[in-house]
Amino acid sequence: MEYNVTIGIEIHVELKTNTKMFSGAPASFGRRANTCTNEVDLGQPGAMPCLNREAVREAVEACTALHLTIDPVVRFDRKNYYYSDLAKGFQITQQFHPLGRNGYVMIDTPKGPKKIRINRIHMEEDTAKQFHMTKVSLLDFNRSGIPLIEIVSEPDMTSGQEAEAYVSELRQTLYYLGVSDCKMEEGSMRCDVNVSIAPIGAEHLGTKNEIKNLNSIANIGKAVDYEVERQKKLLEAGEKVQQETRRFDEASGTTVMMRRKEGNVDYKFFPEPNIFPIRLDPEWIRGIQASMPELPEARRQRYAKEYGLGEHDINILIANKEMSEFFEQAMKGSKNPKGICNWLLSDISAWLNRHEQTIVTCQLKPQNLAKLVAMIDDGKISSKQAKELVDDLMEGRDPEQAASAKGLQQLSDTSAIDQMVSEVLTANPQAIADFAAGKDKAVGFLVGQVMKRSRGQANPAMVSERVRAELKKRTA
Amino acid sequence: MKNAGGAAERCQDAYAEAQKLQEKLNDVITFVDPAEQLEHLPEQGLMRGVPIALKDNVNTKGIRTTAGSRILSNYVPVYNADIADRLAAAGAVCIAKTSMDELAMGGTNLTCFTGAAHNPWDVRRMTGGSSGGSAAIVASGVVPMAIGSDTGDSVRKPAAYCGVVGVKPTYGRISRYGIIPYASSLDHVGYFTRSIKDACISLQVLAGRDDRDMTSSDRPVPDYLAELSDDMHGKRIAVIGNVVESIQNEKTVKMFNDLMDQLRARGAEVDVYQFDEDLMRAILPAYYLIANCEATSNHSNLDGIRFGVREEGEDMQAIMTNSRTKGFGPLIRRRFVIGSYGLFQENQERLFRKAQKVRRKIVEAMMECFRSYDCLIAPASGEIAPLIDTKADQDQLSSDYLVAENYMAMGNFSGCPSMTVPMGFEEGCPLGINLTCRPWEEGTMFGIGRAIEEITGYENLHAEVK
Repeated sequence: MEYNVTIGIEIHVELKTNTKMFSGAPASFGRRANTCTNEVDLGQPGAMPCLNREAVREAVEACTALHLTIDPVVRFDRKNYYYSDLAKGFQITQQFHPLGRNGYVMIDTPKGPKKIRINRIHMEEDTAKQFHMTKVSLLDFNRSGIPLIEIVSEPDMTSGQEAEAYVSELRQTLYYLGVSDCKMEEGSMRCDVNVSIAPIGAEHLGTKNEIKNLNSIANIGKAVDYEVERQKKLLEAGEKVQQETRRFDEASGTTVMMRRKEGNVDYKFFPEPNIFPIRLDPEWIRGIQASMPELPEARRQRYAKEYGLGEHDINILIANKEMSEFFEQAMKGSKNPKGICNWLLSDISAWLNRHEQTIVTCQLKPQNLAKLVAMIDDGKISSKQAKELVDDLMEGRDPEQAASAKGLQQLSDTSAIDQMVSEVLTANPQAIADFAAGKDKAVGFLVGQVMKRSRGQANPAMVSERVRAELKKRTA
Repeated sequence: MKNAGGAAERCQDAYAEAQKLQEKLNDVITFVDPAEQLEHLPEQGLMRGVPIALKDNVNTKGIRTTAGSRILSNYVPVYNADIADRLAAAGAVCIAKTSMDELAMGGTNLTCFTGAAHNPWDVRRMTGGSSGGSAAIVASGVVPMAIGSDTGDSVRKPAAYCGVVGVKPTYGRISRYGIIPYASSLDHVGYFTRSIKDACISLQVLAGRDDRDMTSSDRPVPDYLAELSDDMHGKRIAVIGNVVESIQNEKTVKMFNDLMDQLRARGAEVDVYQFDEDLMRAILPAYYLIANCEATSNHSNLDGIRFGVREEGEDMQAIMTNSRTKGFGPLIRRRFVIGSYGLFQENQERLFRKAQKVRRKIVEAMMECFRSYDCLIAPASGEIAPLIDTKADQDQLSSDYLVAENYMAMGNFSGCPSMTVPMGFEEGCPLGINLTCRPWEEGTMFGIGRAIEEITGYENLHAEVK
């Protein structure tokens, strides 16, 4: 039987702010447990929330970038439940009036571009982090109160691949905005993926399962694909899909049940009485929107227009914001975008991977890359020679100095090359005969011989041209 | 309140006196030795060297703060309430954390985990609550000023029963940061004094914007004392007819009416104003719902995990359940159940949201009245403080005196400044009169209060505790 697959995704993104959503305590990752908290984050009696303006600004940017309509009146609500990681016994969120509604992102699919709608983006606060040990549970309140936005998609995705593309596109956009680190592995971006299947033509959607614990984009695709197959098998065996919360188990590549969902929990939402509704100044919103950084889509278009790069190159370059920014730095001293791009995406990327470094942590200077590409373009060194300079380049050395230190230079002196060509041809009468007989292969052989004689320093393009000219002369 | 030097002696005397009266009044939960504060007194300050008391829901760093509840009976705050800092900066010296109804949820001061507080005028009688300890410690003359909090009438009712001035200023006038809450949209910081002038000075010290309380106002704080005027000419006063009519004690009504005549004689225009009776009767149930709904959420942090008295259990969920079951009194548990019920999705529209609508209607009716009048006035209660053992279960809704005994929550619904001032005595016990004015018009309220104080002569009145 054929099935329709329906996927909706809820994403929690930690915003990058100096202080927490509702308190003045520092918001930082990786600090000693329970050192970045105060009475507000700890839910001490009498503490009150004070809204972080910067968090609202970042949330407004996110809404704008993802084409949501912004509610100019910011209102918060309480979500009431008891859990040990929830200090106050309620979470301050935006249940009734989310900051943004009705947006979308565009993703690429094998069938072409597809619009994935976003239902809402709302602001809220993170909970404490729990560590369950064998005998005790430990709580770290550093995370308690970190500003979050929750991005809720419409159930518009139909495959693991689309789910991956959606999250990847979202992540790229938010990362470009600079509003979040978007590190899935560190939990600053957390995805809950809802998957259901139903036979094609069925009136209702199938029972959905929520998958948690997805710590990479690749795992989203794997988890969805596994889950779809699992549900198919259940249905085909005549069983029912139960509504469950499952987690992705990376080791086995499967999803594992965490808990059954029995009915809806009543969170007793009501408006937060300690934060009056706040009317955002339209000028303030416009100011934020006007000064937003360039987003991936705009950058894609600009790269095509300004640099004439191909779609494939652009996508790879832009997928890494820092790489893309390095590219632009290098372009300030170069006229060859394709050359710079190729170097970044091939030899330099390979070197970075090999050395477990990034374009930011390595010593490579944009002007040195530009210089190297210019040296090749000007025929001062060959591409092959340039590859010998990669280590020097990556360690911050000037490519010209490095080339001369290594004695690398390209022989482009016409008379010297002509001399070598003449000698090689004289020494290889058979090749000349082959050429006369129409065997073009002979040219390659002779060029190779000349290159060998020049110890690789002759300009191959020139050698090739001179060999042909000389052959024609001798066989005329 | 003026301190003629001798700060240390005055504070030490108050500290000793409070301890001496404790046996009779039981109005203090924790005594605070003033010695250390006296060492750090500021050079100047409106209240320099003045001994004061704080209701025990005002957080004091390093000093136990229980909110009258067993679950917080070991709680030592890690930070000061905004007003604790303001008072210290003005030179006030705290000598006691006073008794209160558990979590400020009550009107009797019988539900504190340390037992009932007793009325200084007649120790067989209750103080009223929830700020009963603070009312008593001011009424007994130990300190000239004490902090309370007022969610329904928790400052103004005990002020009436204890014969002191009880002020609840405009919502947002005083920061609530660090006050253990009851119901955030209704909670106000208030205070007790024995004179209007002291009430002016106190508000001067307490009022002002605090960035940690987003509902606090950045309006400038006037010099209340300098602007105090007892001139009643042109003042338009509306007697709440519904309240006076529902009072069955004729002596109280006569006392009140005589006072109104005297205000007229001083040039005020005093009319009887009728509110819609159904609205007046809806005040208590609406209040009860809103307050309990917010309270059940506000007190969800009291779970024994991070602070407070922990009752062990198999897992965290069990620890929370056990701590809450044993930590709260029966009345509180009942109110939490009611609050929770009111917030359930299937009930919220019919209960919590409906109560909010009633609240809005009442506020609209008040604002309509304030278009013609400067002040709403009525007796703060029909009767003197009840005897302690006659009201065994204070939390039952009763139709007796429903309007007369419960209307003051209007001031909390609207956030309007409201104040109780001594009106007279019956059987040796005080009765109070309540004034409510437009938002931010504390000055007008103090002026009318001052005129009443001049008429009654009850300035700096205090009880001889027997």
